[in-house]
Amino acid sequence: MLRQYQFQSAASSPPPPSRATAYHEFYQDDFHPREHYRPMWEHIQHAGQHLLDAKAREAHLTLHTEGVTFTLYSDQDEGIERVWPFDILPRIITAAEWRAIEAGLKQRVRAMNLLLKDLYHGQNVLKDGVIPPELIYQGKDFRREIMDIDPPHSIYTHIGGIDLIRDERGCYLVLEDNLRTPSGVSYMIENRVVERRILPEFFERYRVRRVEHYPALLLQALRYLSPRGEEAATIAVLTPGQFNSAYFEHTFLAKEMGVELAEGRDMVCKNDRVYLKTTKGLRQVDVVYRRVDDDFLDPLVFRRDSVLGVAGIINAWRAGNVAIVNAPGSGIADDKAVYAHAPDIIRYYLGETPILENVPTYQMTDARDRTYVLDNLERMVVKAVAESGGYGMLMGPTSTAGQRAEFVKKIQENPRNYIAQPVVQLSRHICYLDGELESRHLDLRPFVIYGRDIQVVPGGLTRVAMTKGSLIVNSSQGGGSKDTWVLAE
Amino acid sequence: MLSRIAESLYWMARNLERADNTARILDINLVYMLEADEGATEETQWRPLLQIVDADQLYHARHPDQAVSVQKVIHLLTQERANPSSLYNCLRLARENARVVRDRISREMWEALNQFWLEVDRHLKVTLLPWRAEEFYSYVHREVALFFGLTESTMMRGQAYGFTALGSLQERADMTARILDVRYHLLLPDLSMIGSPLDYYQWGALLKSLSAFEAYRRQYQAGIRPIDVVEFVVLNPDFPRSLAYCVDGMGRTLERIDSAPNGKVTECMAALRAHLADTTPTGILDQGLHQYLEWFLVLLANLTQALQGDYFEAHLGETA
Repeated sequence: MLRQYQFQSAASSPPPPSRATAYHEFYQDDFHPREHYRPMWEHIQHAGQHLLDAKAREAHLTLHTEGVTFTLYSDQDEGIERVWPFDILPRIITAAEWRAIEAGLKQRVRAMNLLLKDLYHGQNVLKDGVIPPELIYQGKDFRREIMDIDPPHSIYTHIGGIDLIRDERGCYLVLEDNLRTPSGVSYMIENRVVERRILPEFFERYRVRRVEHYPALLLQALRYLSPRGEEAATIAVLTPGQFNSAYFEHTFLAKEMGVELAEGRDMVCKNDRVYLKTTKGLRQVDVVYRRVDDDFLDPLVFRRDSVLGVAGIINAWRAGNVAIVNAPGSGIADDKAVYAHAPDIIRYYLGETPILENVPTYQMTDARDRTYVLDNLERMVVKAVAESGGYGMLMGPTSTAGQRAEFVKKIQENPRNYIAQPVVQLSRHICYLDGELESRHLDLRPFVIYGRDIQVVPGGLTRVAMTKGSLIVNSSQGGGSKDTWVLAE
Repeated sequence: MLSRIAESLYWMARNLERADNTARILDINLVYMLEADEGATEETQWRPLLQIVDADQLYHARHPDQAVSVQKVIHLLTQERANPSSLYNCLRLARENARVVRDRISREMWEALNQFWLEVDRHLKVTLLPWRAEEFYSYVHREVALFFGLTESTMMRGQAYGFTALGSLQERADMTARILDVRYHLLLPDLSMIGSPLDYYQWGALLKSLSAFEAYRRQYQAGIRPIDVVEFVVLNPDFPRSLAYCVDGMGRTLERIDSAPNGKVTECMAALRAHLADTTPTGILDQGLHQYLEWFLVLLANLTQALQGDYFEAHLGETA
């Protein structure tokens, strides 16, 4: 069968105007909130500054006492523990908007999963010329070691945290597919718990959909994978340990699901089976929800110096005695250079039109794209393809000449390692900061679970760039967050 | 449960219990110092504390050629970062262990301990002055009591509870034995006084360091006699800090935890029980209280090792 695909080089399409004004989620115009924010607006007016101040303090105190923290990495060995920064005013998504988002996310994750299955088996997608083979083979996260392994039910991307932004028109675009070990879901839930405690009166004015059943859905999906059947399933969350930035989340999920929270040193492999070291000796594990990167997962297969992983776990996985979530090798699907091809991937595997669009992306391996980007660096965002958390990127408009020169050199040395995107003005929303209503840029990370079927919890983690004018929302870079409300139909 | 988790629970509780005991001996000493007897010096009043918590050498390494002073002892035992069993370090470790087992303890327990730690950390950023110390120590007592109270009322009675209770009881037995040992010898140079009433204040301070003063008074009306103190602190089955009470509690806790695969723990428990059974206060004093307590501490240390082999590294016992 002959398939024809049109590849659009991003440089050939006109870049969106970079000076356009960011979409405002809350305000319709200078004075009026959008329809669905009106009840909240009235309530803010009614409550007044004094009360809101008290609520903001209470929220911070609650998170502090509960130890809802994340860890910042620094030059010292042990990271710095920070209290989760939380803005009390919720972000609201209408039922109609959510319908489209949900459909788009499911479509995207389904296609990405098919891509992974294909890449690690027959590689038709490369043979048919949908993705240039060198893009895959040069990808840092393409794992030759796992070719032809069949994971349970052919699922690779059990958990996806897809980052969405809204462009100047208010359209939801996919900014990143996080398909390795996306984090943030515990904060989504904690935000809701805190919000409900401090602003119950807000909830009375809306019909907000629930999000706290996420761990139950996740547990169901994990049990579904158990090689010894669901009833006998022993499940463990594998954490790098308490100095990891997302350790709070690891304990949270283990506790909510009622499964073991284990470190690599708590496990041992024998005869292609994985065991937990318990006070009663060894106990076999069926499903490992790992929050350890591929590189560190198994020193026998990946990095030899890893002490965070479990030696032999890949062999056990190959033998079908354990399920690993997300599957090793999934990282290639959220490689930012592969991301650029996502619309083609969706068309290729599903024969559907992509529901969620991409941000225009320039491939640095493409000579024409590269020249264009290097000439316009101060208007671009340059990202390393396999990094996340806002590390290893260049924000053109705010960069110094020195930083740009450094990136020019990096790009020329290793073009496959970078992509560039025009600066998109992320949408803005009001935040309650020091007694004032201030507008800040934000994004949205909904969570997608792929088990017996694909499910999206109605909500997600809204991350806010707390610094005025900043477009960087990562918590590791000083971002904060908001509770996210999806309204019932 | 996971061996590492069991170990963390055990040390979480031990460190908290140790912090509480350290705070108590400091606390009592401060009160006692307010109305010192003639001839008492800072040296004679504060050196015993260093001996109880085994910090003698550390003190002299930090302050060579210097006499023992209140301020320095308080600093060393409360907030000195280089002292592994300073109150600060005990609480830091307790909280760190709790963070590791956060999914195994109740939310209430975690929040209480976390807040406690944040407050202590903030408070000890500056030097604790002797006249503010008492207030701080009573805060520590309250918070530790709150934590163990929440443990009693919110934690499932499974293995996790077992290892927590075990850590607390074992540390308490350890401290009780040490306090009695050091104090007793300082207060009783002459064996002929065994049966006679002694200095009310000094012995009162010993009993108060063990939270035993009032209970002792109710039990024994004849003043404070060494032989009665030994009977009460070592053998009384109802006094919750006595060696007998702690060992009995540890035994029962271990039975609920489930039999140890290698049986070493069972042996060690039997040795501890035997040490306390078939003995009288007179018998103990005849053979020498110091020797008796020293041997008790050895048996406790053996148990710690056995726990390691039987539970915390249980998988090593399995053949491939």
